[in-house]
Amino acid sequence: MSDKLPWIILFGPLTAALLILLVTRRQRQLSAGLSVAAVALSFLGSCLLFLQTGDQHVQFAWLDFSPRLLVNFGVTVNVLSKTMLLVVTGVGLLVHVYSVGYMEEDRDMARYFGGLSLFMFSMLGIVLADNFVMMFIFWELVGVSSYLLIGHWYERPQAADAANKAFLANRIGDFGFMIGILMLWGLTGTVDFATLQTTLAGYQEKGMIGDILPYLTVAALMVFCGPMGKSAQVPLHVWLPDAMEGPTPVSALIHAATMVAAGVYLLVKISFLLALVPTAREVIAWIGIITAVMAALMATQQSDIKRVLAYSTLSQLGYMICAVGVAAGEAAMFHLFTHAFFKALLFLGSGTVIYAMHHEQNIWKMGGLRAKMPITFWTFLLGTLALMGCPLLSGFYSKDAILVAMAREHPAICVLGLFTAFLTAFYMTRLFVVVFINRPTSDAASHAHEAPAIMSWPLLILAVPAVGAGWKFVAGPFGLGGAHDETTHPGSVLLGYVPVLAVSAFIVGALLGFIVYRNRAADPINIAAFRRKFYFDEFYAVLIRLTQDGLARLTALVDRWVIDGAGVRGVSGATWGTGFMLRFLQVGNLQAYAFLFGLGVILAIYLAILS
Amino acid sequence: MSPIYLEAAVVVLGVFLLALEMFVVQGEKKILAWLGIAGLGIVLAASFFVDQTAPTGAVPSYHAFYSTDSLAMFFKRFALVTTIIVLVMSVDYLGVVRKFTPGATAHGGLGEFLALPVLTCAGLMWMASAVDFVMIFVSLELVTISFYVLVSYTRRNAASLEAGVKYLILGALSTGFFVYGITWVFGLTGQTNLEQVSAVFAAYQGSTAPLLFAFVLLVIALGFKIAAVPFQIWVPDVYQGAPTPVAAFLSVGSKAAGFVVFIRVLRTFFHATAIAHKIDLLLVAVAACTLVYGNLAALPQNNLKRLLAYSSIAHAGYLLIAVASSADPASGGAIAFYLAAYLPMTLLSFLVMIVVANYSAGDDIADFNGLSKRSPFLAFAMLIAMVSLAGLPFTAGFFGKFLVFTVAIAQHQTLLVILGIITVACGFYYYLRVVKAMYFEPDTTPSGQPGGQIPVGLLTRVTIAVLIAAILVLGIYPKPALGLLGSAAPQEAAGVLRSVSPQVVLR
Repeated sequence: MSDKLPWIILFGPLTAALLILLVTRRQRQLSAGLSVAAVALSFLGSCLLFLQTGDQHVQFAWLDFSPRLLVNFGVTVNVLSKTMLLVVTGVGLLVHVYSVGYMEEDRDMARYFGGLSLFMFSMLGIVLADNFVMMFIFWELVGVSSYLLIGHWYERPQAADAANKAFLANRIGDFGFMIGILMLWGLTGTVDFATLQTTLAGYQEKGMIGDILPYLTVAALMVFCGPMGKSAQVPLHVWLPDAMEGPTPVSALIHAATMVAAGVYLLVKISFLLALVPTAREVIAWIGIITAVMAALMATQQSDIKRVLAYSTLSQLGYMICAVGVAAGEAAMFHLFTHAFFKALLFLGSGTVIYAMHHEQNIWKMGGLRAKMPITFWTFLLGTLALMGCPLLSGFYSKDAILVAMAREHPAICVLGLFTAFLTAFYMTRLFVVVFINRPTSDAASHAHEAPAIMSWPLLILAVPAVGAGWKFVAGPFGLGGAHDETTHPGSVLLGYVPVLAVSAFIVGALLGFIVYRNRAADPINIAAFRRKFYFDEFYAVLIRLTQDGLARLTALVDRWVIDGAGVRGVSGATWGTGFMLRFLQVGNLQAYAFLFGLGVILAIYLAILS
Repeated sequence: MSPIYLEAAVVVLGVFLLALEMFVVQGEKKILAWLGIAGLGIVLAASFFVDQTAPTGAVPSYHAFYSTDSLAMFFKRFALVTTIIVLVMSVDYLGVVRKFTPGATAHGGLGEFLALPVLTCAGLMWMASAVDFVMIFVSLELVTISFYVLVSYTRRNAASLEAGVKYLILGALSTGFFVYGITWVFGLTGQTNLEQVSAVFAAYQGSTAPLLFAFVLLVIALGFKIAAVPFQIWVPDVYQGAPTPVAAFLSVGSKAAGFVVFIRVLRTFFHATAIAHKIDLLLVAVAACTLVYGNLAALPQNNLKRLLAYSSIAHAGYLLIAVASSADPASGGAIAFYLAAYLPMTLLSFLVMIVVANYSAGDDIADFNGLSKRSPFLAFAMLIAMVSLAGLPFTAGFFGKFLVFTVAIAQHQTLLVILGIITVACGFYYYLRVVKAMYFEPDTTPSGQPGGQIPVGLLTRVTIAVLIAAILVLGIYPKPALGLLGSAAPQEAAGVLRSVSPQVVLR
């Protein structure tokens, strides 16, 4: 039984997705029920699996071209994947339940739940995959289901565009990922994580690692392109804020708690590889921290409630990636773990607000929701505090672990990390004050009321781990929040002050945000560069116009004059009389054919005998 | 029970269908197709229970020209499956046949259209087993002559008649070359049995010119059968003119049988080591021309039937890559798998085309505009067929190409691999044009009227579903199929591959 458990967890949602597609497409409630039941089953399975001690590794050969290439279809069950399973299925279950309320009036509810189940299947595949090829396949499947869900309201042009943008940005990253996988395969002859680890360890023993280090570094960076796309790191981050065009529960599940964390998960999973390539790690760390700072700056000037949360997600993902870069994979996983809960809570909370405001997302049209929506207010407050790093709440512990790791490896990065923490406190206070505390600024805000129970219960449940997931006795069983690893660096002066500095960053940021935004009807600060996302979109538009459109024009020319003109019409001898020469040949149709046949015969004989 | 009874059963079935036609009530001719399908299905099932081992003791004399090896069994089953699906198509196509066939009665002449494929099937099965030039020739002619009749069957349709005449004359020409080649082989060796010919070739010390001449003549004739450039000239016109089920039969059944004979003849000539590099040169040249011609000429096509004709040439090109790499022990498995993948995807596209053409009265790509709205099921089936033909991963077509390229790389056929990869890209363009028409063009027939829903009969529906499933299963989990083809081949291929590819960094 126990070795079948991972398969049940994995294939439950797929079964639901297929059933919805093939059978229950027209029954809204039944489809929703199927989808929820499947994820509940997966969650139950994950809990049972978590209670079992010991690791599992089940696999069977899928594509067997051994000894050159052996691709297994298999699952790895260890502490890492068990933790991730619980996060994915747990948050997933709550989001499914919440969706039943949120999507109640949607015409295409069945399609929505089908997409959600497909996503769960793909995401669980990523978590359980025991080799790169399988990982890549599920990686792509996650991309597809994310595309489907972002574009759920495809009649709205922004939603359709956002879906395309997400898909294309991920394509770029995934192309690099694929090259990285191929390079690793070329270097070691395997795509299996466990075998790769032993092979690399073997090379290291024999002292051969030095010879292949440059290749390994490039391969690691290429693999990193995958997480760069999926976890939305600079410069491929542009898709995530736009992805907020999808339904809010989707934003909570996919674009905050799980899918975007897949990149971090992958990097942690291959940390044995990253340990060998310090240069690649350095690059990863810098990309992570740059993303964290830039996203936080952009978040301070957004006026759409979901976009603020989207940029804060970017920023937090930057933290996690950076943590992997400074060799603190465990801290990254810890932050992933806590972030999944409080960010899902925040997104679902924002969903409730948007629902109550009749799909108004501009924070400057909200206000005064504290009294109207008490449950949302209190849970949102807890989520906000956790995100800002308020002591005793979950975010504080995991952020602290990352900052400590940064301080030990790289003081400069740590300073930037603290700055980001300050910004986080500032913009989250801004959001909270404007939405909940200030006076109502519109009719909808004055008449808002609390959402139905099916939507508020998930908030209440999520609030519990958002508060407590960081406590040592809670996180301990997940292999998180433990003592810090010993490293080679002696540690800088900064190290001892990190907790103090982090708390002061929180206090200063929160106070500043409160003072600036208390009782304001419009944003007193106006920094265009932040609001316009540092002009990344504009820059890409120009870049594409210069490169791709130019290339397209060139291709069109080649197609018209070379391929169409000379190639195709010249070669396709038997097509409908295209081209004067061949029309001439077709005059005596059959005779011409026989003649050409004879010509071919002579040619073949010449080639074989006389040449 | 010896496999030879399988062909006997098929012939009896064909004759039975012909005789039965006299007693079938007007308008009930479909029953003949049902009976044919059922009968062939039974033979197919029986083929898994026949005794394949070569008889010991008193060997029956027919074993000098009739082989029962796994290659033969694979292609026998291949022929049976193809014929069954062609009969399914014929049921949908009967309306068109009736319109273009003059007969004393309203339904006169339909019975033969259903019985002839069954007899052709027997010929294909004999071809699969033939290991003697006389046997090869006779079975080949049985197939070809049946096709002469089938191609021109709808004889009130000028295009069909013209196609039949072209096929007849060019076919006769190629047969001439074939017989001439056989006489040269016989003159050189005094034998017609392939095994004995091989033995003589292995010890051959004389001039290479006559050997090569015989080889070239045989390649010309077989190249005609499998539609290899430059002997492909008949393909587009004949496919377009012939009744669609017959075109499908030509492109799958006739081609596969051509390949099995090609493989057997080629193996014989490989024993003459003196001409090995010349054989290689010729095969590479033919394969390269076929790849380039088939794919480039398909690019500008606007008629789906014609597009599939060029696509059939293109696929012959990929198969020829594997043939040109025959020195590799895995090439047989690669060819078999490629054909096993080629069968469902090609027949599926022809089947969908017949159903759609019945309703939009044409088989131009434009007739498929907006098909996804008129019939999501047919559009999806065509989508699967097209992406598989193009070679998208997770479809059967992908692994077919993968295995072919694997053996080609192992045999250092660099030119063919490069050409192959470039032409695969061409393939994506012309196959996906059909997908674009189905899913992205507005739902209008060329006349500008929105087309209505297209009904699909139960038998057709089931067949389409089975073909889709076959394509996906072969594409997602090909391992059991590879095992079933009796080839430990890919492993060996990969073993060779290992020595070639980029472990360099470590050494």
